[in-house]
Amino acid sequence: MLKKLCLPLLFALLALSLAACEQKPEQKSAEQKPAAAATEQAAPKKLIVFASDCTWPPMEMVDEATKDCKGFGPDLVKAIAKAGGFDVKIENTAWDGIFAGLAAGKYQAISSSVSMTDERKKTMDFSDPYFEVQQGVVMPKTATAATLADLKDKTIGAQINTTGHFTAKKVEGAKEVKGYDEVGLAMKDLVNGRLDAVICDDAVATDYALNNPDYSKTLAVAFLVKPDAPEYLGFAVQKGDKATLDLINKGLAAVKASGEYDKIYAKWFKK
Amino acid sequence: MSTKPLSIDVSDGAAIPRKKDRGLFSAWWLSFFGALAITAFLCITRPDPYLRILAFVPDGILVTFQVTTLSILLALVLGLITGLGRISRNRALNLIASTYVEVIRGIPLLVQLFYIYYALAAIPYVSKLPPLASAVIAMGFCYGAYMGEVFRAGIESIDKGQTEAARSLGFNRRQTMLLVILPQAWRTILPPVGNEFIALLKDSSLVSILAVADLLRRGREFAGETFFYFEAYTIVALVYLIITLVLSKGVSHMESRLNYYDRH
Repeated sequence: MLKKLCLPLLFALLALSLAACEQKPEQKSAEQKPAAAATEQAAPKKLIVFASDCTWPPMEMVDEATKDCKGFGPDLVKAIAKAGGFDVKIENTAWDGIFAGLAAGKYQAISSSVSMTDERKKTMDFSDPYFEVQQGVVMPKTATAATLADLKDKTIGAQINTTGHFTAKKVEGAKEVKGYDEVGLAMKDLVNGRLDAVICDDAVATDYALNNPDYSKTLAVAFLVKPDAPEYLGFAVQKGDKATLDLINKGLAAVKASGEYDKIYAKWFKK
Repeated sequence: MSTKPLSIDVSDGAAIPRKKDRGLFSAWWLSFFGALAITAFLCITRPDPYLRILAFVPDGILVTFQVTTLSILLALVLGLITGLGRISRNRALNLIASTYVEVIRGIPLLVQLFYIYYALAAIPYVSKLPPLASAVIAMGFCYGAYMGEVFRAGIESIDKGQTEAARSLGFNRRQTMLLVILPQAWRTILPPVGNEFIALLKDSSLVSILAVADLLRRGREFAGETFFYFEAYTIVALVYLIITLVLSKGVSHMESRLNYYDRH
């Protein structure tokens, strides 16, 4: 009985996996055709692979339909590539180890809302700044904190090893500072009442607190942290990779000059 | 009547091969002292990252131990109940235990962790559970299912004659299980339980997804802040290796002790 059942099942599985395999080449060839047509006309462009942790809306997140990265970052990168004359591929990468991957040469650049810190500048090079961020503190609406000092004796969450995490660690007398794999998990814990506050980039904080229908009922951006020095986002490249850096900077300058930057900005931040 | 055949049957354990991996050059000693030596060498030659990391992770090791020990205790209790349920003649009990095993074995531990910590948080009391408790519950329930199979197999490995003998001596079913079967089954059960213990210790690294500050998370925190990725994960790997090697030695020691009693 069992044997009789097993064989058809096996065949069904085999057929399924074959069907799955067959689909892929078709898609690929469909994708490749326009790309090939484009390269025929011009000299082959340089391909720069960007890594991005697409769990950070609205800066970068995964598109529901295509499963590709979308958001302010990817849009900007694509515009820069067009203006700078290079091909681009955005790879969704976990934040943890994203810098290690860059150092190992798995990709040439990071476009994942990376804040330019002095610590990071020691191990990688940054493009010109493309965005200014502040750290926003998301708390329940009932909370009354207005400065970092008010977070004393509170449990604070952040995405591990982001500037928000570093800011949280600087809070004196905090009960506990927890580093999550993704900022979304920290927000979830905040909604569930296991955390008192979450610190992250202000654009992201605003998105979670105001645009998420579930969270906007209970959460609000309590205050923005006044930085000692302005904090900028930049594209990170390998230390000494001047060629890639120049291409990105050239594209970024062109995008800013043509007014396309403002269009992308308006698309994602002024709804 | 000669006593010789009897002595061969009972006390001469020629059928059980003596463990040969004693001596300094067995794989265990090589791995253990190799790991210790490499750790020491790294810390002495490059104390800047390596010793700093080693000083950074001990509380993580403690959390890893906490999660592992508490989970294994929960898993043992659940495993015993499940194992007994699986061989029970009570059909309801049997069905519940079997379903539990099937369901838990079919869901990856990582998904269970996410489910218990983030999804079940919609229930009022559950949302107050600290991450450590959620982690222990998830891991305990997961390994409880596997442990249930270990217990069942251990109990079923005892010859039916033992039950028949005990029953004909007037023990009731419960006494038979508690006084005759389980003490014997324990011998078969203990080594696999030790292995589960080691597997659980390694799997406990998954709880770092709940922002529990275990050994792996401590390593990640250090790496992310200082960019010593290679160095941090090297130390984390070595520490896990050393801990599990000590545990596996304990398990194999226990095993040989049990074999010893088998022979004499």
